[in-house]
Amino acid sequence: MFLAWNEIKKNKLRFTLIMGVLMLISYLVFFLSGLATGLANLNRESVDKWDATGIVLTEESDKSLLQSSLTLDDVESVEAEETAVISQMNAIASNGDTKKNVAIFGIREDEFIMPNVTEGKAFSKRNEVIASDSLKEEGFQIGDELDLSSTEETVTIVGFTDEGRFNAAPVLYGELSTFHKVKYGEAAEMNKDQINGIVVRADDVSILTKDDKLEAIEIETFIENLPGYTEQNLTLNFMIYFLCIISAVIVAIFLYVLTVQKISMFGVMKAQGISNGYLSRSVVAQTFILAAIGVCVGFLLTLISGAFLPSAVPVSFDIVTMIVYGILLIVVAVLGALFSVRTIVKIDPLKAIGG
Amino acid sequence: MTALELSHVTKSFGTGHTKVSALKETNFQADRGELIAIIGPSGSGKSTFLTIAGGLLTPSTGDVIINNQKLTPLNEKKRSKIRLQEIGFILQASNLIPFLTVDKQMKLLDKVKKGNMTKGELEQLYHDLGIEELRNKYPADLSGGQRQRVAIAKALYSNPSIILADEPTASLDSNRAFEVMELLKNETKNKNTTTIVVTHDTRLISYFDKVYKMTDGVLALESNVNATGTM
Ligand SMILES: Nc1ncnc2c1ncn2[C@@H]1O[C@H](COP(=O)(O)OP(=O)(O)OP(=O)(O)O)[C@@H](O)[C@H]1O
Ligand SMILES: [Mg+2]
Repeated sequence: MFLAWNEIKKNKLRFTLIMGVLMLISYLVFFLSGLATGLANLNRESVDKWDATGIVLTEESDKSLLQSSLTLDDVESVEAEETAVISQMNAIASNGDTKKNVAIFGIREDEFIMPNVTEGKAFSKRNEVIASDSLKEEGFQIGDELDLSSTEETVTIVGFTDEGRFNAAPVLYGELSTFHKVKYGEAAEMNKDQINGIVVRADDVSILTKDDKLEAIEIETFIENLPGYTEQNLTLNFMIYFLCIISAVIVAIFLYVLTVQKISMFGVMKAQGISNGYLSRSVVAQTFILAAIGVCVGFLLTLISGAFLPSAVPVSFDIVTMIVYGILLIVVAVLGALFSVRTIVKIDPLKAIGG
Repeated sequence: MTALELSHVTKSFGTGHTKVSALKETNFQADRGELIAIIGPSGSGKSTFLTIAGGLLTPSTGDVIINNQKLTPLNEKKRSKIRLQEIGFILQASNLIPFLTVDKQMKLLDKVKKGNMTKGELEQLYHDLGIEELRNKYPADLSGGQRQRVAIAKALYSNPSIILADEPTASLDSNRAFEVMELLKNETKNKNTTTIVVTHDTRLISYFDKVYKMTDGVLALESNVNATGTM
């Protein structure tokens, strides 16, 4: 630490540059991780809110809620502590001024996936809905009567709930009967038993149903199979990991150049009898100091700029994830420094001082 | 008591027709409390001798024994430790760390080994070398002679049992050179250590107990104060 810190103090510009690079990379990593979390939330927040452990869909739907088709009778065959039926469709909702792609959930008011109301009141009559509060920012208000695509029916917003987006679309929650009316129009009465899935809370999801036509899957599996969810996550995570590798390489190159410049100085110390271990620890300590400061500054910058972002940008910072990435960045930087350690160990003190 | 011994040591560089025999077979002993000079023309092998004696360079044949410990069979890690504990090098090339102030050059030694000079002794050393004013300066801000004096301070600070100095007075004026020799002599006598100095400067010869001359890799005793009483 003694050598590391004194050298940094003497060569401020040089080390500020390295720190700056690490800071920018960590800034980018934090931002991408924020974007990954934000985009993931956009897809899954309404599902997370169910606080469910699994969902029962038809086997042939291939884990897609929209493609699954069950009847209310199927609920009897599911042996779970708690069940909640759900129907889902997508539509374009318009309040006259604004059109917006929405997901419509048909649910039962007394079952556990009923959302909490943050503003207004819960639905109590046919054609009343609770809307995701992300619609509020688009100009939708309580009392708005919404025209829905592909149906004559209209629904009225009576309340808002938070965290109500499903696969990036804001959700309108209504009674099953409202849903059937919207989806089947005149034929609603005939299809009044139709649902898309059964959300469950149970300890062991795999033994929920013995019916061959039905499939019970973990809620996490269900989320991973939301259209585009896994692909998007993989892409962003790949970028993050790649950035970590890049930062390791950059640190390795920087430190290697510095080490080569200092070969004669290391030679002097080795001639004096200072051990490879001490010199190597000092280089590693130096990298640790630089990386730690760089990552911390990057962390702060991320939080500051996050506070100024318009809410339309789907960035949401998960502090735990950021800390994990921060530590990862510091670790890979230190790994980059090990490359220089090898050089130091190989220095022949006599050649280095040109004696 | 023998502090340093070279027995049947030779050193050659390169192979075939480019082979240079820098050191012919050399037998050498230095006792505690001795101040020894090595003189000789440029390229005769003085630095080679000194670096072999200090365990920096491995001889082609023969053994180096420091305080009863054979260096030749040891690995670099162990030799490095002996250098740290026993030897104070004052090298021909500058051996200061560019980003450390004079004070911190000494402090670095406190970080890696024990048994260095006390604060009071260091103050005295600074005073003897005339570098008290320079303690907070970086090597780049010092003159050549000042750097050399700091390097001497650094070698003495660790209280080595053997001091090996290659041209320690080369860039000093004669007054300073005499003062440095006085200092090295006192250190050697007071602390009962062994000091070997390579020098070109014939005016300094009177300080030494023994003078060896190196010619084309052959080391020969030129004068011995203890034996003859005069130069
Ligand atoms: N690493 C090396 N490779 C090849 N030859 C070397 C090497 N080091 C020294 N020599 C040769 O060994 C001989 C002795 O060199 P050395 O450095 O010991 O001389 P010196 O007496 O210290 O000279 P000076 O007074 O100029 O410092 C020289 O001929 C030199 O060219
Ligand atoms: Mg020489």
